[in-house]
Amino acid sequence: MVSATSAGPGPERPNLNGSPNTVPAMSSRSPERNEHRKPQVPKALAGGNVQDQYIKGLEREFKFKHLGVLGVLGWILFLHVVGIFFFTKGFLLTRMVLENKSSCEVLPFGDASSVGKKVDGCWHPKSFDKAIVIIIDALRYDFTVPFAPIVGTDSAQLFHDNLPVLYETAVNSPENAFLLPFIADPPTTTLQRLKGLTTGTLPTFIDAGSNFAGTAIDEDNLVAQLRAAGKNLVQLGDDTWHALFPDYFDPDLTRPFDSFNVWDLHTVDNGVTGNLLPLLHPENSTKWDVIFGHYLGVDHAGHRYGPNHPAMAAKLNEMDQVIRDIIAKLDDKTLLVVMGDHGMDSKGDHGGESHDEVDAALWMYSKKRIFGRTSPETVMPPMLAGDRYVPQIDLVPTLSLLLGMPIPFNNLGSPIEEAFIGSNGNDWKNLMTVNRLTAAQIKRYQHEYAATRGADDDQESESMKLWQAAETSWQKLSKIGRSSQANLRSVSESYKEYQRYTLQVCRGLWAKFDVPSMLQGVAVLFAVIVLLVFYARNVKMDRADLTGPLLTLVGAGSAVGVVVGASLSFAGMAEMRVGEASALMAAVGSIVGASWAIFVTSGFLSVPLPRSLWGWLAVTFTVTQSVGFASNSYTIWEDEILLFFLSTFGVLAGVSSMRQKSTADRVLGVYHSILFVILGRLASFSRLCREEQMPFCRSTYYASATSSTSAPWQLAIPFLVALILPTVVRSFYAGSKSYEGAATLWIGMGFRLGLFITSVFWVLEGADDGEWLPLSKETLKSVRVFLAQLVLALAFAAGTTAFIYSKPCISINFSQGNAESESKGKPSAPTQQAGRTTVTILGFGNVHGTRYFLLVVNFCLGIILMQKPMGQGAMGLLLWQILSLLEILDTNALVLGNSAIGPVVLGLLGSFYYFKTGHQATLSSIQWETAFIPLSSVQYPWSPILVILNTFGAQILTAIAVPLTVLWKRPLQLNDQSSSSSKSSNPSIKLLTDVVQAACTYILYFATINLATTMWAGHLRRHLMLYRIFSPRFMMGAAVLGVVDVVLIIFSVAGVRWSTLSVGDIFGW
Amino acid sequence: MASPPPSPLTTPLSTSAPDLPKSAPPVPILPSQLARIYSVLHPAALLSVFAARFPALVADPVSEMAQQLPILALAHVTYAMICLPPAGSDVSPSAPTSPASTASGSATGTATPSGNVILRPGKVGRRRTRDSAAGAAGASAWGAKLAPALLSLTLTTLLATPTLSILLILFGAPFTTHHVQTLLCAAHMAILSSTALIYVHGVDGPVWKEIWGCKRPGDAVWGGALGTAVGAWLGAVPIPLDWDRPWQAYPITILAGAYLGFVGGTMLGRSLLFGKRLRFDEGEESGKKVD
Repeated sequence: MVSATSAGPGPERPNLNGSPNTVPAMSSRSPERNEHRKPQVPKALAGGNVQDQYIKGLEREFKFKHLGVLGVLGWILFLHVVGIFFFTKGFLLTRMVLENKSSCEVLPFGDASSVGKKVDGCWHPKSFDKAIVIIIDALRYDFTVPFAPIVGTDSAQLFHDNLPVLYETAVNSPENAFLLPFIADPPTTTLQRLKGLTTGTLPTFIDAGSNFAGTAIDEDNLVAQLRAAGKNLVQLGDDTWHALFPDYFDPDLTRPFDSFNVWDLHTVDNGVTGNLLPLLHPENSTKWDVIFGHYLGVDHAGHRYGPNHPAMAAKLNEMDQVIRDIIAKLDDKTLLVVMGDHGMDSKGDHGGESHDEVDAALWMYSKKRIFGRTSPETVMPPMLAGDRYVPQIDLVPTLSLLLGMPIPFNNLGSPIEEAFIGSNGNDWKNLMTVNRLTAAQIKRYQHEYAATRGADDDQESESMKLWQAAETSWQKLSKIGRSSQANLRSVSESYKEYQRYTLQVCRGLWAKFDVPSMLQGVAVLFAVIVLLVFYARNVKMDRADLTGPLLTLVGAGSAVGVVVGASLSFAGMAEMRVGEASALMAAVGSIVGASWAIFVTSGFLSVPLPRSLWGWLAVTFTVTQSVGFASNSYTIWEDEILLFFLSTFGVLAGVSSMRQKSTADRVLGVYHSILFVILGRLASFSRLCREEQMPFCRSTYYASATSSTSAPWQLAIPFLVALILPTVVRSFYAGSKSYEGAATLWIGMGFRLGLFITSVFWVLEGADDGEWLPLSKETLKSVRVFLAQLVLALAFAAGTTAFIYSKPCISINFSQGNAESESKGKPSAPTQQAGRTTVTILGFGNVHGTRYFLLVVNFCLGIILMQKPMGQGAMGLLLWQILSLLEILDTNALVLGNSAIGPVVLGLLGSFYYFKTGHQATLSSIQWETAFIPLSSVQYPWSPILVILNTFGAQILTAIAVPLTVLWKRPLQLNDQSSSSSKSSNPSIKLLTDVVQAACTYILYFATINLATTMWAGHLRRHLMLYRIFSPRFMMGAAVLGVVDVVLIIFSVAGVRWSTLSVGDIFGW
Repeated sequence: MASPPPSPLTTPLSTSAPDLPKSAPPVPILPSQLARIYSVLHPAALLSVFAARFPALVADPVSEMAQQLPILALAHVTYAMICLPPAGSDVSPSAPTSPASTASGSATGTATPSGNVILRPGKVGRRRTRDSAAGAAGASAWGAKLAPALLSLTLTTLLATPTLSILLILFGAPFTTHHVQTLLCAAHMAILSSTALIYVHGVDGPVWKEIWGCKRPGDAVWGGALGTAVGAWLGAVPIPLDWDRPWQAYPITILAGAYLGFVGGTMLGRSLLFGKRLRFDEGEESGKKVD
């Protein structure tokens, strides 16, 4: 590289005193700040007709290679989508929620034979008018049965033999009570369990059809059926019920209690008991029909102390007494149910699927003698939870039919035989009837589900066979009329077989992770990262030159893959749909092809280790953060960790700046490092805490922790941003004398105007919320929509046009020399040699950076509009920090060094400000209402795009800024026109290569995070916190990666084309 | 200031010294028997006292840190005075005979005409005269050591402690609460890292420029300072974990990291990494690339 000779005698006006010819414009970084001015004649002046053709060629080459590069990025996006798709397919268990409700009038069978007499009960004669359902949270089965050592060395633990009442009653009066193990479907968390216990269906992560934000149950369920039948429901205890069933309970008698204070063993329990026993008085008996009492003491004792602790023994004793008290007050018409919703492990925790966690107990009691046993072996309650257990969903049909309710539409459970066999243990007709009812309802549900899914019934042909067999034997039976117990029993059991088979099929569909599919996804994602590491960091060839062979091989590989995948699928060797198989094989094929291109064609292979402290730092940040996602704590506190990393970078940048030789570099570098750290810390004051961060976190994003509107003082923030931010940007432009040309208009006027309108918008929004103005809501809304659309038009329509067509931010002045007339029209060379014209170019030193930065300004404006006032301040700080980062990169000679640290720190900034704009890695933190900022109704595709702009605004803005890590203050390098036209000397291709490297490094950061969160979510798929922490973080990582890929392709790297062309237009190629 | 120095990034002093005429040489432990023994005893004592008092620290961080602060300061100044050459003296290992050290000494003196104001009157001359006397320091030497010791304590309190407090907050320490904890933690870190540095180097401009740039060659003093910083940095790692242990409270792990880091850094600095420098970039200072 040839160092440019700074020709100007003065620092302000380097005069272009007609160099003999235009020196090959290779230039290294000038040590002097802000003075990157070279004696390079702008093309407009040089006007070389001779070289027109040649220059056109260079421009064409750039455009062509640019398209190729976009192709490579598009291929990376494709691989990411395939990888994420296959993982998600196996990981995110989804189930459609059907809105259908069972109703009293419509029986589940198609035939009319049994329609009629619904005098005392809907589908089946009821046994009880009223019920008391007591849930003792975490009541494990072995808490309720006498201790019986399995091995001789076993000894009783403190939780044994403290709750004998259930066992005693079941043994002493089997007609009044029975006790059975009650097995939960994982996840064994209370909320999921309550869903299962009331709907009779299996839990999945996404119950498609329900809205994300709310937890209320949409499906048909027992509580809703009871309510619809006009029963008065009372709920006491755990307030989770109210999240699931809002407004179902009698407001006067219901007493909800906060369920999250695990340290408090007694408040909830005392509250339940204190309110329950009075209701059992005869004078109160007309006030209620069903009571749901939910005790939490046992669960909390387990969480706090573990099961083997005196506190647990005391708690179980207390429960024993409570149940005895209730029995004493019970009347004949009331059914008493006591159950656990899940168990607990040896430490007293739950959520997973170990035996101790899923083994709960179920006990039913009535003063009426109606319970029975089908055989003598089943008289005694089983000693172990593994024997003769019933699934928890069996409660739903059992309770429904006992109370004379229709079975909820989605139910998959079976009636519990002890409750229907009669006290003599031989009422098989009754049991067969309820089994037939239940089976018919299950069949109706299956049919409806298959129809909604668009599949046909015969997919479950095995289950249909079972149903047909049961129906046939039932019809035979009804033709005979009277029949033997044995026949009735076999029909009943064939219906039950159908029920259990269907349950097993559904479990396979909804509760089993498809591990091979997850592994396929992870493998694809991992392969992309390996390829990216080599492509972005370790290829010695020009990336732009590698594009040709890479894309060819990728194309060939995918073509082969599509063919192979499709034929495998048609041949039935792969259990996938044609599209899926083709996509997977195309991905594999293209990965193989790309590996060939990168490892063989480029002929260079070495271990890609970083070669500087900056490189190591970039790797350390990325890898430690990725490893940290294995821990729920580091996932919860991600925002603090990002601040820690950013501060580390800032301090190290300061240290590194102190090492610079030039005083200007040192001073500027240290200044910007300090600024960088302080701005980051300032932004960290804007936070919206997630539930798990409490009580160590205070939300400041909204007016208060419980509101989602801004405080009045926060409305001042947008005005401050409008006042300060354009000035800040201007100062960075002015630093390299680049505040010229389009910049003055766009930053000084357009940007500021847009920000000001945004501030007015948010004041009006605040006025609407607070009703400060005597204007109607409609007027305010239409004014706001107009303002918001104005800003968006300014940012994206006008902004993009301006970005594409504007000239670089430079100012070219011709001195009033003695030969001003000659400076224009004539062929250049003689004019220049004459040395009579003085040309001053301001803004030369940062021509690429300032030109491209206009795009960042556009996006910043658009994204700021979409943020709440607090978030606008954060985005302003982000823009400032980005500029500061660019200056740090420049002063530490990291721009031309293509260091990985620039893109990685941008990635960190993007993630950090995601949290600073009022978001968390939870579904509930999505600010859906921002879709209505510039619109009055939901409009596709705009509404989702607006929400994405709000949610991932920070990552989008940093993605837009990625090319700047190699463009900011990049010296202008032009092709050596006099020497031979070897292709490699085209400097715009070098620029393109650097931009792609930066973009790929940025992708690499997010791809690594995505892979890590994906793998951890897959690995910890049975973790207690999967649904609350790991799954949302995985989804966020995947979404961010997709958004970042798309933004880089269609805005960042594409934007480089226009900015480079624009620079080339003025300065030549 | 806060990254573990990976070994490929360090380069032996021998290759870089000729290219860095301005650089002051690494500071060795004084050659006397007492200094050698005490220089090992001091870190060991620090660690054992810290370990012994750890339960008390967990129980009540503020009062325990406040109680230990004067003791730590005293112990550290004693360590510096016994084991380290005070600012203005010159006891590099080759000092008595080598012309290189004289050259480097005079270069330091002449290269920055205005940078060395305090404590350096006639420094160059005094270095030469004290060369031979340094080893067998007489009673009069204690007087010469007292001034740097007092200076180091003053500057540690007035400059290093506030700076480190601000840094702690910038790295995410609470801004509105826990001020006392932050201040005390910063004070402990300042004594560990800065006292010896100031005692040895005074306010020598070029040396401090090197320190800000993390360019000092490895020795016990610089190793201790860097180790304190790295240790404190790593000490923040366990804080967010949900283990619910009382020692995870805010300044405790950072303080523990700082102590461990100081001892580790001191030991490494005087032995394995003696004279080696932290490098940021392979290509940096292109003359001294060692592969």
